[in-house]
Amino acid sequence: APPSGQRGNSFLTLEGREVKVKMAARLLIRSAVRAATTCRAAPVPALTRGMAAGGIPTDEEQATGMERIVMKAMKEGADPYSMMKPKEYAGSKADPHLVPSITNKRIVGCVCEEDNTAVVWFWLHDGEAQRCPSCGSHYKLVAHELPH
Amino acid sequence: MAHQAHAYHMVDPSPWPLTGAIAALLMTSGLAVWFHFHSTTLMILGTILLLLTMFQWWRDVVREGTFQGHHTPPVQKGLRYGMILFITSEVFFFLGFFWAFYHSSLAPTPELGGCWPPTGITTLDPFEVPLLNTAVLLASGVTVTWAHHSIMEGERKQAIQSLTLTIALGFYFTFLQAMEYYEAPFTIADGVYGSTFFVATGFHGLHVIIGSMFLAVCLLRQIHFHFTSEHHFGFEAAAWYWHFVDVVWLFLYISIYWWGS
Repeated sequence: APPSGQRGNSFLTLEGREVKVKMAARLLIRSAVRAATTCRAAPVPALTRGMAAGGIPTDEEQATGMERIVMKAMKEGADPYSMMKPKEYAGSKADPHLVPSITNKRIVGCVCEEDNTAVVWFWLHDGEAQRCPSCGSHYKLVAHELPH
Repeated sequence: MAHQAHAYHMVDPSPWPLTGAIAALLMTSGLAVWFHFHSTTLMILGTILLLLTMFQWWRDVVREGTFQGHHTPPVQKGLRYGMILFITSEVFFFLGFFWAFYHSSLAPTPELGGCWPPTGITTLDPFEVPLLNTAVLLASGVTVTWAHHSIMEGERKQAIQSLTLTIALGFYFTFLQAMEYYEAPFTIADGVYGSTFFVATGFHGLHVIIGSMFLAVCLLRQIHFHFTSEHHFGFEAAAWYWHFVDVVWLFLYISIYWWGS
């Protein structure tokens, strides 16, 4: 390969071009290997609060009121304000639908079969499980505490 | 805190819907008074009341969300739907003006000379200031996205810088457009060309000003630590609105400035 300093005219010789391509290819492969093997996970900063980290607070530091209560509950997997779809149960005697309530009774609307348009409404009282007057599914009231 | 078994926000009674309605009444009747009796007092009074309403209503929303924590996930979802629906309504608003433009320009009447641009109209060169305006707004779309990522990544300084830059670009657009309006060789009274040009670009300019104000409020809130890296919907709403303004300009540029020239 011709030495890099010598260039009589303004364009490279064929050999010079080959050397540059080989070097470029090597660099490309090296950087590709680096990119593929680099740790992608964001590093957890040692100082994690507010101004020490980057200057923008997190919800953990700054959320308040209802938002904070919901945030804490969601972190524990709880759903005190019924934001999610109700859990699914078989509805049998051994596995009744568990209905959370903040008092000692709650209205239940049973859609006995999927796509039924007539919903069967009834009061579910604390104590022994009750059965839907139409399809017989079992429902049991369970006490439910609100975070506040 | 109210004892509720749901995560929604039952808003406290507020006077601002009433003051807003009164402002709308005073502004509209004030407009009629201005037309017939040459007095702007009623209209100005209505406008002041409108500005006070907007300031105090939105200040209350910030208080309820940021300081009192009422904006739980379902509440935030509702706010997102609200902003999307509002922007959709604005899309339809602009659609009307584009309809008017294409109605007149696709089949130019004999009164116009049977051609578009109409006889006698010297259009603006689309590759001069209008192209610069396009670049300015596109750049502001980049800087607002930079600001969003800065907020999400907890970078306060960058968030403030990129948001400031976005607002500066918005002001630059408004300044350039004002210069264009002043220097234009045609006016709003110059037939249907003038009407469609100035009504469409005029309403767009108004939306740029509104969007800039929205972003400016976000900048103030960011400086005062309102936003967290996870919860900053006010900023997202402003960014959505800003992107919408940018897209409307792109359609204006292609249709009126370029094709229509």
